Order: sequence, then structure tokens, then C-alpha cells
Amino acid sequence: MVQKKICMLGGFAVGKTSLVRRFVSGIFSEKYLTTVGVKIDQRTVTAKGKELLLVLWDLYGDDDYQKVRASYLQGSSGYILVIDGTRKETIDVAIRLHEFTTATLGPIPFVLLLNKYDLEDEWAVDLPMVSDLGQKACLVSTVSAKTGEGVEAAFAALAEAMTSS
Amino acid sequence: MPDSIHEHALFSAFDALIFQKTAGQFECLGGLPSWFPPSGVLQGPEGTPEKLLEVSFFLQHFLRDVGPWWESNKVGQMKSGLWSETAIFGEDVILEATAVYQGGQRYLVLQRFGSDMLPVQPLLQKAREEQLSHRASIHLHERTEARLGTQLAKSEQERDDLLAVLDGLRLGTIMTDANGVVTFLSGKAQELLQVDSAKVLGCTLPAGLGWKGEYTNRIEEMGKVTEAGRQPISVVVERKKRPSVSLEVDVHDDPRGSRKKILFLKDVTEVEELRRQLTGPTQFHRLIGKSPAMRAVYERIRDIATVDVSVLIQGETGTGKELVARALHDFSLRKDRPFVAVNCAGLTESLLGSQLFGHKRGAFTGAVQDHEGFFEAADGGTLFLDEIGDMPLPIQTTLLRVLQEGEIIRLGESRPRVVNVRVLAATNQDLPSLVESGRFRSDLLYRIRVARLQLPPLRERREDIPLLSLAFLEKARVIIGKIGVRDIAQTAMQCFLRYSWPGNVRELKGALDYALIHCRSNSILPDDLPPEFRELSPSIGSLSGPGVRDQRQEILEALKHVNGRRAQAAKLLNMSRSTFYRRMRELSIPMDDQSS
Ligand SMILES: Nc1nc2c(ncn2[C@@H]2O[C@H](COP(=O)(O)OP(=O)(O)OP(=O)(O)O)[C@@H](O)[C@H]2O)c(=O)[nH]1
Ligand SMILES: [Mg+2]
Repeated sequence: MVQKKICMLGGFAVGKTSLVRRFVSGIFSEKYLTTVGVKIDQRTVTAKGKELLLVLWDLYGDDDYQKVRASYLQGSSGYILVIDGTRKETIDVAIRLHEFTTATLGPIPFVLLLNKYDLEDEWAVDLPMVSDLGQKACLVSTVSAKTGEGVEAAFAALAEAMTSS
Repeated sequence: MPDSIHEHALFSAFDALIFQKTAGQFECLGGLPSWFPPSGVLQGPEGTPEKLLEVSFFLQHFLRDVGPWWESNKVGQMKSGLWSETAIFGEDVILEATAVYQGGQRYLVLQRFGSDMLPVQPLLQKAREEQLSHRASIHLHERTEARLGTQLAKSEQERDDLLAVLDGLRLGTIMTDANGVVTFLSGKAQELLQVDSAKVLGCTLPAGLGWKGEYTNRIEEMGKVTEAGRQPISVVVERKKRPSVSLEVDVHDDPRGSRKKILFLKDVTEVEELRRQLTGPTQFHRLIGKSPAMRAVYERIRDIATVDVSVLIQGETGTGKELVARALHDFSLRKDRPFVAVNCAGLTESLLGSQLFGHKRGAFTGAVQDHEGFFEAADGGTLFLDEIGDMPLPIQTTLLRVLQEGEIIRLGESRPRVVNVRVLAATNQDLPSLVESGRFRSDLLYRIRVARLQLPPLRERREDIPLLSLAFLEKARVIIGKIGVRDIAQTAMQCFLRYSWPGNVRELKGALDYALIHCRSNSILPDDLPPEFRELSPSIGSLSGPGVRDQRQEILEALKHVNGRRAQAAKLLNMSRSTFYRRMRELSIPMDDQSS
């Protein structure tokens, strides 16, 4: 079966681990346990009629304490850039990581997710704020790891994009 | 291959999985660590350490990086960084791989860290959590600020919009607090009242606006009535160097507390002006009425007021003779001097004499002090002698002398005192017939009727009845305290219009007071009227207005008098023939063919 490596990228606590857990096991936890190092998960999907094994590299949140290693990105077919919709400042991290990834790997497919969409009251990001980044992504979507809204579709879109490239 | 037992024991002590790479193959050295096989896919006989190298995506990735490095034959080690791989190790198992090149040998060491064994994890966790919670509190703060900001902006915007609408409607707005202190004055209100809000805010209405107490009292009174029973209050505001404005003031409770009030000021100056123009003068001094008969009276008052002669005012009881006298005084040059009214009826000769001319102490029993009479009291002004027909003859004689000589002598004195008094007399009797029967001195009659003024009875000016009754109602409902009664039902007004009013305007006023006291709704109904109105059922039909019955009667009587000859009847009634015919048709009087 064809394997595709996908990296989860974004600032800390934006919900990378939660999105993977929702996608792989269908569960969600409110408790925040920051990811140390690289966490690897996998799930099979069908894209364009073909079975595909997605190997998900959940990288630790990029911040002053930990920087994503370029070597971890090697071999990726695509990545998921996650923004926390309740924290505007996570947009900047996403932009930085996008630049870093493109510099390391060249342009590869990615989806841009505005996570925690269930927290409507605290929502702080709107689409124009991410339009530059969004134009390069193969999908920009609001999602919620908590309710599952938009999660399947986001991974499906990326899988689709990776098989055609 | 390790050939020493010591080496084996040493590797085991690390609790690590150690491989040595020889000829492209990895071989596990020493014993298996305590964590092997892990809880995931390597469970079962297939799960050898070598298998782990095949199934781990991370290790494969790492080994791809390590390969070229090993080939470079540099002594040292290369670390993979921490990693976990759920499918193989389950949750919460973190490992690290280290590639070593030492003594020409290539080793791969896998170490496991429990979450408790990672000092870095709690530190990172704490740092990140703190950052999150700090951010959350800042965020909360920002959001609260933003929300308050928008709310404030919104309510200010709403207030501005509302004021713009009110100003556009030419409505001025004043708000007062529970103590009647002005808390707000809209731009329009400032313009209408020609005041500066800075001077009015914080003051009560009487203090801030300088309105007559009458207005502010009524506003206060109105505020105490339930909202449904409230009426707009008419206020006329005099303004510096600008025409005065007529306002209607509506008193509303502030929804935030009924002791706070909102006053809406409606500019009705134009409306008032139009109304005045449409209706002509409805009032003269304190006399009310716009009938031709009353207009003639007003004109006559104006004509004779300034001519300093005696006036005889004639009219039935209750027609307002004293009001005429007061008007005559107020329009005369004597207006700043006293106006004294005396009723000559019902007083004994001596009492009336001493009242009019005064007396000296001891002049008669009971005269314990010197007393100045009304003539002296009215010196320089006007003396109004009501019911002069009832004046005893001896007093008439004295009065005549006083009028001729311009001096009085107090009873019991002999010294004359000069007085300058204009006498206005009034009577409801036919003085010439009193002269004939010897009860009134003819020379006095000629003396006092230098000018004459006849007041019409109410039945001869029925068109004034609605105006009069509404004017009385307006005053009486405040005095009697029935502010809610606002008008007179058409049916009740019909009764008023049909009644003969022997007591004239005074009776009308009395009937209205009576009705108001009995009234239970907000308009006066026939049932509220005094008993004498009961028979006047309004069944005659609303077409027959004031005076209709009288006119029909008049024409019928005239026709009868001249044996049905219409031309003569018309002459008799001082009408042109065409008018006469028209009247007959209007009043449905049948035309007999034989008469011309
Ligand atoms: N309400 C809500 N909370 C979410 C959602 N996704 C994640 N969270 C919460 O956000 C916190 C961080 O989630 P993680 O999935 O651990 O975030 P991460 O990006 O993996 O964080 P790091 O590993 O520290 O970089 C946790 O408390 C989650 O429960 C979401 O869609 N809705
Ligand atoms: Mg994570």
C-alpha cells in the first residue's frame, strides 16, 4: 500500500494532537498534554479509488522552547498547518512554519485549518486575516477537533491533493 | 559480536535495545530491555527487536539520515530526538534513538522514557500552560473592554439617533430625576425654550426654566395622574427678542422609574396661530364668545372704555355684567386705580348708605369706628354698582348728588370730601318701567345711562355654548380634580344647545360643575347633567342646530300673523323674500298654494 507522510504543523496547543486523535481514534480530550518530540500515528484512507496509508507526524508545537527540526520534514508528501481560531497570534507561527517548510521541501500540498471552531464566542480569526496563506493552500477550513466538524474532509482533501501530485 | 561476558552485562544494565550493524544487518546485542516487547503491533512471536526496525516509520526515517553519517566514519553519536509511535508502543511511551560510531563499529541504541522520566516534559507543560492562561486572561480583558466599548458606542449611537428623530419631529425633550431635577435637555428643547442646557441641568423646572408656577405646578400634578389620564399641558414661552412659542407639554414616566419623568415639548405655535386665524377672536378680556352679538359687545366695550362717562350695563341675570364692568375698567385710563364692586340688592338703606359713602364713629348704633365708604375706596378708579334697580330711593338721591357734585359726605359728618370716581351700573330690570312705577329716579337714570351696553342672553347666542362649556370644563376639571374628563359628548352638548338658559352663562357654568362632579367617564354624558336637562332628549335630530326651533317658530308665527302671505311675513321678519323662501325650505315649512 502506498504510504504518505503528513506533518502536523502549528503553534503550541493549537490542537495538532487533538486533530490527529480525532482522525485516528475518533476521540477528544479537553486535557492539554503538550507533545514532547515527534508523535507518529497512522490511518488508511481511500483517495481517487486507491487505498493510502497516511503516516501522521505530529510535531511538537513550534515555539521558543522547541524548534521543528528540518530533518523531521524530510519525506513529507503534504502537511497540515493548524491555527487556533481563538488565538490570533497562532497565525504568525503558521506563516513562519509555512515558509520554513517551503524552504526545506519546496512547495508541497498543505491544508490550512482554523481549529476550535466550536468556541464561537471566543472566535478571533476571520478569513481575510489568513488570505495570503490560504491562497497557497489546497484547502482552508474551519474545523473542530472537539466536535469533529470538518476534520475528515480536511484529511481527505489533503490525501486527494497528494495523490494527484 | 560481543565476545566478553562483561560487555553483555553492561548492555543489559542500560535497559536499552542495542543493535550492532554489520554487513548491512542489524543484530541485537545483550538481553532484551524491560519494555520489550511493547504493547502494540510487536506482540506475538513475530515481534523481534529486528522487526521493530522494520515497522517503525520513525526509525526508518532516522536510519536514512544515519546511513551517510556512518559511512563518513566519524567517531561520535547522532541522536534522533524524542519520539513516540502509538501503533507500536501505545500512548505515553517516549523513546530516543542514538546512532554511535565507535572503534570502527556502528551501534544503534534505543532508550525508552516514561513520561515521569522526562524532566523536560513537565517544564514545557508548565511554561506553555502559563502562557496560555496569561493569554486567556488578557484575552478576556480585551474582550470585555471591546464589548463594553461597542455597547457604549451602540447606546450612544442609539441615543443620538433617537434625538435626531425627536429633533426632526420638532419635539424637544427634557428628562427629570425623582426629585424633579433636570438631567437632560435636548438640542431642540434648548432651541424652543431659548435656554442653555448648562444653566438648566441640575436645577428644578421652575428654577431652571423660569416658567410661571402655574405651568410647573400643572406639570407636577399631571405627573401624579396615571399615564392614561394625562393631558398635554399648554405652555406659552416668552422669549428674548424672539416671538413667543406655544408648546404642548406631554408628561411621560421614564421606563426606568416612574418618579423620573420625560417631558416632550411640541411646538404648536403655528397650529395655534392657524386656529386663531380660522376662528377669529373667541375671547375678549374674560368674556367668552364669538357670536356676532358678543363681537358687537366687545366692540362697544372698546369704544366706551376710554370715554370717562357712566355706563349702564343691561342684561339678564348671569350674562356677565360684572365681567363687562371689569373689562371697561381695565381698558380705561383708570386701569391702575381701584375697581370696587358693590351689589345694591338685599342691603338695607342705612347699611348700603354707609357702605357707599362711609360713616363717622357713633353715626348709628354699631358704628364703632370711622369708616371709609366704597366711593372713597374707589377714588381715582371705578365703582361698579350692580343691581342698581334695587337701590332704595333715598340712596338714589344721595348718589345723584354725589355724581353731580363729585363729593361725598360720610354719614354723621358734614364735611364734604372730593372723590373722582367713574360709576358703572348694571341691572337686569327694565329701569324705565321702574321710573314709571316711581321706584327709580328718572334723573338718576339719565345720569347713569350716558352710555349704555346691552348684554345678550345666552339663548340668543347659542353658537357660543360649545365654546363656553369647553372653556368652563377646561378650568373646572382642574379645580374639581377630574382631569381625566376631557370633553362633552355630542348628545350632552345637544341638550345644552336646546335648553333655554334662564340663568344664562352663570347657569351654564353651574350645570357644567354639576355634570363634572357626576361624571364617571372621560366625557360628559346626558345622564351627568342636572335634572332640568332630562326632558331635553336628543331625539329631535342632530340637524336642528342652535336656534333652529326658534326660527321655525318665528316664521310660522309671522305667517299666521299675516294670514300666510309670505311677502308680508318676510317684511315683518326683516328678511328679503328669497332669504325667506330659502329658510322655509330649509326648515321644511310647507308652502300653501293660495298664499303668494
Ligand atoms: N474546544 C476545543 N478545544 C480544542 C480543540 N482542539 C484542541 N483543543 C484543546 O486545546 C488544547 C491543546 O490541544 P492539543 O491537541 O494538545 O494541541 P497541540 O497543538 O497538540 O499542542 P502542543 O502539542 O503543545 O503543540 C487541549 O486542551 C485540547 O483539548 C477544539 O477543536 N475545540
Ligand atoms: Mg500536541
